Amino acid sequence: MIAYAANLATIVAIFAILAATLNFIVGYAGIFSVAHAVFFGLGAYAGAQVALLLMPDALLACIAGAIVAGGLSLCLALPALRVRGEYFVAASLGLQMMATTLFSEAKAFTGGIGGLVGIPRPTLFGIEVGVLPLALVALALILFLTARLQRGAFGRTLQSVRDAESAAEALGKNVAAAKTLAMAFACAGAGIAGALFALHLSFVNVESFTMDQSVLVMAMVIIGGTGTLWGPVVGAIILLSLPSGLAFLPFIPPTEVGAVQQIIYGLAMTLLMIFRPAGLVGDLSKGRATS
Amino acid sequence: MLFLQLLLQGIQTGALYALTAAGFALIFGATRIFHFAHGTAFTIAGYVFLACWRIDQPVLGALAAIAAAVLFGLGMERFVYRPIQRHEGSFFTVFVAAFGVAVVVQNLVGMIAGRGFASVDTSLSMAEEVLPEIFLAPIFWVAISVAVVLFAALSAFLTRTHAGVALRALAQNPDLLRAYGLSSNRLSMLAFAVGSAMVAPAAILTAMTTGLNEAVGHHVMLISMAATIVGGVGSLRGAALAGLMLGVAESVALQFVDTQWAEGVSFLVLFAFIIFRPSGIFGVAQTR
Repeated sequence: MIAYAANLATIVAIFAILAATLNFIVGYAGIFSVAHAVFFGLGAYAGAQVALLLMPDALLACIAGAIVAGGLSLCLALPALRVRGEYFVAASLGLQMMATTLFSEAKAFTGGIGGLVGIPRPTLFGIEVGVLPLALVALALILFLTARLQRGAFGRTLQSVRDAESAAEALGKNVAAAKTLAMAFACAGAGIAGALFALHLSFVNVESFTMDQSVLVMAMVIIGGTGTLWGPVVGAIILLSLPSGLAFLPFIPPTEVGAVQQIIYGLAMTLLMIFRPAGLVGDLSKGRATS
Repeated sequence: MLFLQLLLQGIQTGALYALTAAGFALIFGATRIFHFAHGTAFTIAGYVFLACWRIDQPVLGALAAIAAAVLFGLGMERFVYRPIQRHEGSFFTVFVAAFGVAVVVQNLVGMIAGRGFASVDTSLSMAEEVLPEIFLAPIFWVAISVAVVLFAALSAFLTRTHAGVALRALAQNPDLLRAYGLSSNRLSMLAFAVGSAMVAPAAILTAMTTGLNEAVGHHVMLISMAATIVGGVGSLRGAALAGLMLGVAESVALQFVDTQWAEGVSFLVLFAFIIFRPSGIFGVAQTR
């Protein structure tokens, strides 16, 4: 039971990192990426390769994940600089679909459909550690950074870009740099989550980095509340406890649990958008937090 | 010869893409709603037809498929988009709500009809050798004539009838339209009905050729979206042409790459357009 709870807590912490970083670009910068699982995957593969080939140092794996995912975030920053709104969602959907194919075909780096197996237990400076404390520290760090960035000049610039791009540019803000940086920060965070995910499961394959996963993370952000600090964390906790909660209901056959879960969160997304677009946490603090 | 075969195959796929893309473009052009659940109408129509086919009612099935798609489109307009637009209507709210519906329907279809590919076998989809080493199924001609007839009908509707002209007016200036005493609500329902009806023939023909699965809606939505952007937003002809082009590009690319990359080709085209020419082929330059 304790092992089960610890496992669930680790997964929740990892997805809370993902949701918090996605919230950073969606909620503050107004960049609606539906490709967050791509960067999660890049980080996971990079971290796993470091652990397999060099040494299973958690810090090293996280840094590798952050560098690879943050560096390749340019793939998404490029269209984000050109277009907004619907167009960008289309571009990010396209990137997500292509990345899924790429992950299952680039066998040298990702191990193909079979994935990478036998990733060693993580260590930190030579001492074996669990992933849970690492994930919690990373989550706290990311939340702290998000709060700091949001209140500082950079966050204000981002929010002005979100609300009125031309006005921000007219006031001399470097819109391109702000967007690129925000994207790099969020994707590097997703990369760290990926590296931790790989170390935790000691096995990764393409199934964890598909569009469904991107949508799940998106749902966490939206159900929790976009543009709020704690909303994504709340969303991650709710959506990840859902399957374990459903497993206790006797009338749902075990094979349908996944489908029922998706139906519930799909329905929740639609109903929230109709009746309470600010999300669960959004209403409590500010009234209206979405853009 | 392989090239010609792939080209013909691509035209067949492209004709179906063009139909769904035109429906999407019609809805977006008239109402400015990026209807992300467009692919879901396709899934519903396809599976309704499949269910009727199983009880040997193909004609009834076709009619039921069209009715189901239209009902779904109208339901989305009435119960999802209109309440959202009443209070806020930001693009993202609309996107998330529509995406939620798409996820729900995909899983419901998976639970009811079973997961994985399902198709219908007809004599129409039996390929014959028409030229040396060129195989064509009669459905090729069916797909192309259906697409041509529907486009002719659609452009006649948009240019010759009062409702069609009003729809185009709605796309250009909704406020003026209301000032002249026309109901924009009723017109957007019309746009959703016509646009959704366009996917039903494509869904039926897809069920006969490549088959359907519960996640086919994603693919259809992505292709329609890509075609609308590549064609230039607001241009029906552009969307249809781009749909045809994407189908051909996906198919011809098979000469050089493996099948799993076919979808990637479409997105490469989309990506290139977004970066180098966001207004599309026929679009006017917009600041978005």
